[in-house]
Amino acid sequence: MTIATQGANGGGELGRPSASGLADVIDTILDKGLVLDAFVRVSIVGIELLTVDARVVVASVDTYLRYAEAVNRLEISENEPTGLPGLVGDVAEGGAKHKTKGAIEAAGEKLSDFLGEVQDRRDENAEKTSKRRER
Amino acid sequence: MSAAEDTTDQRSGTATYVYGIVPADVEPEPDAAGVGDPPGSVTAVRHNEVAALVSEIQVGHPLGTPEDLRAHAELLDGSARVAPVLPLRFGAVMTDVDAVTQELLSPHHDEFRSALDELEGRAQYVIKGRYDEPVILREVLSGSPDADRLREEIRDKPEETTRDARIALGEFIEQAIGAKRDADTRTVLDAIGSLAHAVNVRPASHDLDAVHVALLLDVGAREDLEKALADITNEWDGRAEIEVLGPMAAYDFVMKREPEQEG
Repeated sequence: MTIATQGANGGGELGRPSASGLADVIDTILDKGLVLDAFVRVSIVGIELLTVDARVVVASVDTYLRYAEAVNRLEISENEPTGLPGLVGDVAEGGAKHKTKGAIEAAGEKLSDFLGEVQDRRDENAEKTSKRRER
Repeated sequence: MSAAEDTTDQRSGTATYVYGIVPADVEPEPDAAGVGDPPGSVTAVRHNEVAALVSEIQVGHPLGTPEDLRAHAELLDGSARVAPVLPLRFGAVMTDVDAVTQELLSPHHDEFRSALDELEGRAQYVIKGRYDEPVILREVLSGSPDADRLREEIRDKPEETTRDARIALGEFIEQAIGAKRDADTRTVLDAIGSLAHAVNVRPASHDLDAVHVALLLDVGAREDLEKALADITNEWDGRAEIEVLGPMAAYDFVMKREPEQEG
């Protein structure tokens, strides 16, 4: 047991919406942390996990074509009067998201929309879930 | 006289979900909610100076809903605000509480305790930056004759005839953004300097990631971190958005030492 930097062995990449707290959670707790069976041999109980593989390969021909499309949109927007960068940005981003979305991401996004309100409330009270005894 | 009785019997078993390891003086708040539906109530199983945060779950009930994932993370991250925590990867389940004591805590007591000592007063933060696509595209395209040539080749032509050029342009962009990401990650790490006790550069989790790093900091260092990043945040205004997550449990910095694999 040691405190050190885990090797960057993450490998796969996870496409996901930019503002989803759930995606951050998935990034961290499915991928990192101590693995129980490194310590325990006998009493492990196998429980079916719904979140088996959240990985999508991102760098591919599709990614390249998507960038080319984005450049195309860029050229269109350059020919228009400036002053609407926010709008152009939003459109570009929306388009990109549809192209690269993986199944898990899509599900996560929907669920996180659904849970947004609950989550906001929990974030506001993001509180200590434990305390320490007085020594 | 019914099939219902059979199914009930098969699904009535319980097991113990394990979240992480903490010092024995840690006490879960009474309303701390665990995984499962309804959420299990979280307790500490203690053995000498260490404890495991656990809750009871139903066997035969799959885990991994968004609520389950959040419950796991929130319990450990909330605990990491007040105490060192060795987080287990999501999905760790043991037969019962006795097994937690006898197979997990007792044989590894000293190992856990010394790791917790090392983590005392520290927690993990994650910095995520995301490029604004139009802005970063302009940045990587400007002043590149290769890109200009490819764009010229594509411009005003039907898609079917320009596939190769579009792929070449996209590949150029992907690599150029990768180089920006490397440079921007170095800039961020330089700005953080000695604030971090340890750093883990995470693989990009999105095409437009500008930076994605986990840091081991003093648990209360969020303000210092934001101060250290202030110049970059201002400079990147409109180009990339930076987000700081934490404090959270030190997921990126705990690992089992494998004697047979390490020198």
